[in-house]
Amino acid sequence: MDVICCPLDKATLELDADEADDEEVLAGTLTCTECGETYPIEDGIPNLLPPDMREEAAA
Amino acid sequence: MSGDGSGAGDGLAARRGADDAVVYQPAEDSGLLAEAAVAEAHGRVLEVGTGSGWVAERVAEERGLDVVGSDLNPHAARQARERGVEAVVADLLSPFRADAFDTVCFNPPYLPTDPDNEWDDWMEHALSGGESGRELIEPFLADVGRALAPDGVVLLLVSSLTGYDEVLGLVDEAGFAAEPVVEESFPFETLTVLALRRA
Repeated sequence: MDVICCPLDKATLELDADEADDEEVLAGTLTCTECGETYPIEDGIPNLLPPDMREEAAA
Repeated sequence: MSGDGSGAGDGLAARRGADDAVVYQPAEDSGLLAEAAVAEAHGRVLEVGTGSGWVAERVAEERGLDVVGSDLNPHAARQARERGVEAVVADLLSPFRADAFDTVCFNPPYLPTDPDNEWDDWMEHALSGGESGRELIEPFLADVGRALAPDGVVLLLVSSLTGYDEVLGLVDEAGFAAEPVVEESFPFETLTVLALRRA
């Protein structure tokens, strides 16, 4: 998805794919090229909440 | 759509049942937003607060457009994905690039809620707009111009309970002009979908 960026500083995210099918990444990590913060991709869904909200929103 | 590949069948069914209980399901407001979005959407589309993903799915199917659905609630993102919508977990517009979308749709949590009566679960997040009813609308309008392409359109659902004139004031402050697309009255509220374009 080329529409997303780091929620903290809007910098580019670099994708590390752990698991993918023909169409998309199912599991992996997005890392901000500026601040180094990481965002998980689980079941094909990137979690792009800032770190402080991510913990609060843990389901 | 073929999102059922992972995990045992039983686990998936149980998870889906659990998701239903904590994800806002399509209602009258969703229907109105879908009607307006199908009529007005163009280009690349984002639905903020997509919930079950139903509105995003309507736009994708009836207009053949690329639609991304985002929600704070991971259960909602999962339901949207099961409908075939590209889903992300996000706080409003924060992880979207400048000029990324031609159309942004939002049916915000808008019920004015007494802080003493907030019940703090996913359904509250889906319904409550804080004391004013505009606690999510304000930051949304303040940031949507960044993520919206120059000739983009925002489709925002507004309830009379949230304060129509107050929302129009926020729209004006954000540099947009508003035009009602659809409107419907119900016993306790009037719902309007506004199309916002740069003034």
